[in-house]
Amino acid sequence: MAAEPLRIAGRGTASWFLIAGLLALWTGALFGVIGSWQHVVPGVVDAIPFVKSRPLHVSLVVAWIFLGALGGVYHHLPAIAGVPLHAPRLVRVHLGIFIGTGPLVVASYLMGRFGGREYWEFPPVLGIPIALGWSLFMYNFFRTVAKRKGPWPAYLWMWATGVVFFLVTYAEANLYLFPHFSSNMVRELTVQWKAYGALTGSWNMLVYGTSMVVMERITGDTAPARSRTAFLLYALGFTNLLFGWAHHIYPVPSAPWLRLVAYAISMTEWIILARIIRQWRGTLGEGLRQRHSLAHRFLFAGEVWVFLNLGLALLISIPAVNLFTHGTHITVAHAMGSTIGINTTILFASVFLIADAAYDRTVRLGFWLLNGALVLFWLCLIAAGLVKGWLTVTTDLPFQAIMDRARPFIAGFAVAGAGLFAGLSLLVWRAAQGLLVGGMQRIARDAGTFAPGSTTPSSGPPHR
Amino acid sequence: MIFFTLVALFVLQSGFTYTSATDGVKAAAMLDGRAREGERLYREYNCTACHQFYGLGGYMGPDLTNVATQPGKGPGFARAIILHGTQRMPRLGVTEAEADALVAYLQAVAATGTYPIRHVELTPWGTYPELHRDGR
Repeated sequence: MAAEPLRIAGRGTASWFLIAGLLALWTGALFGVIGSWQHVVPGVVDAIPFVKSRPLHVSLVVAWIFLGALGGVYHHLPAIAGVPLHAPRLVRVHLGIFIGTGPLVVASYLMGRFGGREYWEFPPVLGIPIALGWSLFMYNFFRTVAKRKGPWPAYLWMWATGVVFFLVTYAEANLYLFPHFSSNMVRELTVQWKAYGALTGSWNMLVYGTSMVVMERITGDTAPARSRTAFLLYALGFTNLLFGWAHHIYPVPSAPWLRLVAYAISMTEWIILARIIRQWRGTLGEGLRQRHSLAHRFLFAGEVWVFLNLGLALLISIPAVNLFTHGTHITVAHAMGSTIGINTTILFASVFLIADAAYDRTVRLGFWLLNGALVLFWLCLIAAGLVKGWLTVTTDLPFQAIMDRARPFIAGFAVAGAGLFAGLSLLVWRAAQGLLVGGMQRIARDAGTFAPGSTTPSSGPPHR
Repeated sequence: MIFFTLVALFVLQSGFTYTSATDGVKAAAMLDGRAREGERLYREYNCTACHQFYGLGGYMGPDLTNVATQPGKGPGFARAIILHGTQRMPRLGVTEAEADALVAYLQAVAATGTYPIRHVELTPWGTYPELHRDGR
């Protein structure tokens, strides 16, 4: 197809989203290490007690997932849509809003100024710029893809769903500010987890859409993202996003039908994604594998973690099993396996592809350290959760006595967390270096030329 | 078509979740003025970083769902810990009035149900028809 060369405006800004995300990941992981050791050695790092280190860890790591996904969408969207971004200046405004709000959130935590719900504990007023920035992103996204000709591949549907439902569920997560919700604790708790379940689903849509784009770039094969399987995967993911949230709140005394719907929906989760990635891997030529081995390795690691977390998610979504696992470290194992094992490895694949980084000694060490430590981390959390869950349900032991029995596993989790942080640090360093140095040089050199409607380059050096 | 059907069902489910699916709590569990203030303070002091309700929250400290009604604990016990802390829980600088509001909140939460669940009737397909005495 004849291609009109396109100037890829906004791409430098996209890289800054990724760099900001990497910084958020590194600092978030550091606070995670502090928080994990506070379980083992009470009072350690007194200046940042657990009441501060936990929200700092959670909010910063969630920020990494969003910033990493946003950077990928802004970077790839012009080539996918076949047109430049509708408003590149708005990308810079969006970045400015996020970069300005992030330090305010961190400062509010460090000063002990809370007020929001779990995971968004900052004062609710700081949610306004976050929603405003996201609205700009949504406007830019839809105005850009509206100019695209032809049917959408599955990853565009995934991105569009993630973009819209982030805003919907973020608004829903703030309904507690209204007396109709806050005066009824069961309603407030139910709606909070309804919103969070869907919010997680919306960032998964952004991340999995990105994984499809990365895979398409590696293979050069555009058919899988337009296949029936891909759309079936999208439909299942979307159904889970909408209705699968109640497995988080099985013990909460809301209507039983909420539990039944969630149980039925949860059983369908994840399966198709693992299948489609496996199919794609089979299509990879050996030469292409070597050429893009770094991004591919991370996608492969993501695939392994999908399988591990699929098993865990399916088990803990069965109400009879959930009785023993709910409110234990097994839930944390699932959250860590998903956010680090799946989301972070997929986003690293995307970042390293964009940064055009090599699979050198530092990255190799970081990759194996991250994944090796994560396996130990994950197993220790599961073991601690099994001890806590079993003793909580079957005995009348007080909380502290139960936690004393689980202590060896908690210590193992803290040690593994330090290893995980070391691995992440190496990867973050290399990725940021690649984006800052290599990315800038490449952008200055070729300014990007792409065939409209395709995610692969029309000529010249490979587009990443 | 499928997409819009799913969205319509989502809107319907959201409507029920905001109303009938969560309106079965007892009058004692509804948050009045002081308990509402306690709920706000629970967020302001970020108690959820360490504590849970119905197993939801941080795992540094114990679940507080029934702490205000549990034998051997109760409102006085909860108030003392809120004011003075423990070996593992820091003294947060909570005032007497704030402690009263937090205890009122904990009493309202305790009236909503029971956690952890220890006695349930399991079905062969892994569900349980009843968790709490009122059938929920």
